[in-house]
Amino acid sequence: MKGNKKVLKHLQKLLNGELGARDQYFAHSRMYKDWGLNKLYERINHEMEEETEHADMLIERMLFLECEPDFNQQDKARVGKTVPEMLKNDLDVEYEVVDALKAAIKVCEDEQDYDTREILVKLLDDTEMDHAYWLEKQLGLIDRIGIKNYLQSQM
Amino acid sequence: MKGDPGVIQQLNLCLKDQLTSINQLFLHARMSKDWGLEEFNEHEYKDSIKAMKFADKIIERILFLEALPNLQDLGKLLIGEDVAEIVKGDLDMLMGLRSNMVETMKVCEDARDYISRDILEHMLEEVEEQIDWRETQQWLIENTGLQNYLQSQTGDE
Repeated sequence: MKGNKKVLKHLQKLLNGELGARDQYFAHSRMYKDWGLNKLYERINHEMEEETEHADMLIERMLFLECEPDFNQQDKARVGKTVPEMLKNDLDVEYEVVDALKAAIKVCEDEQDYDTREILVKLLDDTEMDHAYWLEKQLGLIDRIGIKNYLQSQM
Repeated sequence: MKGDPGVIQQLNLCLKDQLTSINQLFLHARMSKDWGLEEFNEHEYKDSIKAMKFADKIIERILFLEALPNLQDLGKLLIGEDVAEIVKGDLDMLMGLRSNMVETMKVCEDARDYISRDILEHMLEEVEEQIDWRETQQWLIENTGLQNYLQSQTGDE
């Protein structure tokens, strides 16, 4: 089924974001593992899998809408050097994804592509309530319990 | 069965205390959850549910005594802005609640309403446990340091 051009443009932009986020989580999760921060590794590895699932949903939708997803425009991964910096970079990505999703949802609504909209709302829920909220809590904990205690609790 | 008016008045006061504590403990639970303190959240949440069960017992007793339980009145909530303040606010609230309970038990005894007294006595034991838990947390905060204490309350999601 032929998709709306405006909607497809947004889907490509979202795919770029999800792929970039996936690689960033990939890098960060392996760094945590290398440092012995196994709890962080497990959580961020799980985030990486979720971003892959998100990308999958976008790709399948684009193919159904008779458009070829472009895998060569993905956003750059912003790899941090310290744990707070890594968490902060991840949170920045999630905030950007939230903005992009909201913009895309509006376009879907305007163009009456309600099924794409429904898929994006599911992604927005994951992005806001799961990913971003968890990252905000970690940065809050670092402030409250101190970085050393925080790192110890993530071993 | 018609109840003693003095007892009913006191029971309504205890009901008001419980209704207030449901809200205070519940808000504290969810604030600490928002801060990533899962274990602390769990404790406050359970106490809030317990307060609701206590309120239920008092409501049923007042109805049995052919009077109207008052659910309109709510006391002032002592909401803290950080964990130390939360523990202090809960402790102050629970101490006030306890002294009203003890006073009510005396009124029950004088009016020979032994069953109302017995219901309160069961609650009193649990309330004192709740007070004890808060005093323990204060000791821990003081002796392990706030940051270490908070770390121990992060728990798993």
